[in-house]
Amino acid sequence: MFSIELLIQTLIAGVIIGVLYALMALGITFIYSIVKMINWSMGEFYMIGGYLQYLLIVEWLGADLWWVAVPLSALGVFLIGYLLEPVLIKPMFTTAVERKDDYAIVVTIALLLMLRNLAAALGGPYQRTPGSNLPTVMLGPLPESGARFAAFLCALAAIALFYLLLKKTWLGLALRAAAQSRIGAQTAGVDLFRLDQIAFGIGVGLAGLAGALLAPVFMVFPTSGVVTTVKGFEIIVIGGLGSIPGALIAGVLLGVVESLGASFIAAPYQNVYGFLLVVLVLLARPTGLFGERVRQA
Amino acid sequence: MTALLAIEDLFAGYVSGVDILQGLSLKVETGSVTVVIGPNGAGKSTLLRTLFGLLKPHHGNVRFAGQEIGGREPASIKALGIGYVPQEINVFPLLTVEENLRMGGWILRRDRAAFARALERVLDTFPLLAQRRHEPAGALSGGQGRMLSVAREMMTAPTLMLVDEPTAGLAPALVAQVYELLQAARKAGSTILLVDQNVEDALRHADDVYLIDLGRVRAQGPVREFPLERVSALIKECLLG
Repeated sequence: MFSIELLIQTLIAGVIIGVLYALMALGITFIYSIVKMINWSMGEFYMIGGYLQYLLIVEWLGADLWWVAVPLSALGVFLIGYLLEPVLIKPMFTTAVERKDDYAIVVTIALLLMLRNLAAALGGPYQRTPGSNLPTVMLGPLPESGARFAAFLCALAAIALFYLLLKKTWLGLALRAAAQSRIGAQTAGVDLFRLDQIAFGIGVGLAGLAGALLAPVFMVFPTSGVVTTVKGFEIIVIGGLGSIPGALIAGVLLGVVESLGASFIAAPYQNVYGFLLVVLVLLARPTGLFGERVRQA
Repeated sequence: MTALLAIEDLFAGYVSGVDILQGLSLKVETGSVTVVIGPNGAGKSTLLRTLFGLLKPHHGNVRFAGQEIGGREPASIKALGIGYVPQEINVFPLLTVEENLRMGGWILRRDRAAFARALERVLDTFPLLAQRRHEPAGALSGGQGRMLSVAREMMTAPTLMLVDEPTAGLAPALVAQVYELLQAARKAGSTILLVDQNVEDALRHADDVYLIDLGRVRAQGPVREFPLERVSALIKECLLG
């Protein structure tokens, strides 16, 4: 039954989950814009972020210190990505003769399978949750899950920090420059392979952060990254591949459309509404809302 | 004068086993402008890309200020004082003019005072860029973009500047400006190795000439030994085999 209260609650829920989806998409599009490669294993880094959050809270810190566990989990995922990139991705760009990015993409698919199976081997197929002691938050007259709302605020803070990193630091300047012209960055003296390593670490770290933040909201299990990976790719198709503002706006848009569809049409088809949005955007603007046409033929 | 750059028997190319440079040897004297000319496909741009570390030599020596640099990564070569201005306009279109210049001073980033001095010096040298410092570089015209490319390199006052086809695609009215920019870089203390298809203008600004073809040096010497008629005849010979 339609009501203004339900509409507002649905919009808020959509924005909250959309911002968290956007974090994932931001990681995908960020890695693509610097390394020029799609990382298909992003969902698995999201999954690792969730497991790290679970382990930190259940084994060491407790649910009250979730806010300590979140940055530690994201940092852990950053380090895993930072260490894996020179071993798995860089050699594809330094040794392959042609279509280097294709080789690198295949490696990320292999990494996806390896990480997913490793998680199943180490943790079993069980669904786990670190739990949350956060009380329900009242947004005006409307209740919102405390864990969800905290995840939303942390995601906003992370996006703000990410923006400051890009805009206010030398590293951010080099990352923005390399996204526009890798050869230009090389002529400036930037060590591009090092920059790729850092960018890969940051990108998967964002996915890990999303995983850690959503661990108490959704369950953590070996394939928990699948749905968010799909959402992440839907968002970059809607927003435009390589566009950071596009990822943020499309993330919120996707979250809102899915929430509205689930509340006012039919909840079981929640994922379908996102795909419909993708189809509509592709029909109207094949490069996405903020993407630019690159391929000529 | 002493040779700042000495290349001996250099073999390099884009694909293993297919060398574009076929035993090329060349010297660049300190403080000079040395121009490399030759027909299309001679290996001129490949030479500069190899010197800057974008391509790895398969054989031969590259010595800069007495130090072997062949096979090093671009970041390490840049840190030694070698700048590279590629053929295409080398700016970051979505960054502002000032951010582009900051990127030019990347290797100075840990020395704030040196970086600030370099930025001030370059903005003094290029008042037009100073006026437009907060605008995106993509808004600059072709000539201004080329100016920014050179200005970016001048942020670090490189000992050696590798300049690839600086006037390619520019309107004739802008060509003279580009050579003035190179002269300004030379006055600021940079030695210049220039690859140029614009032979007449390049000869006017150079001290030494190398004519290369099929990856080898066909003729070399001081520019006075290369009147335009001789250069035209040599290039014709290269083209006709």
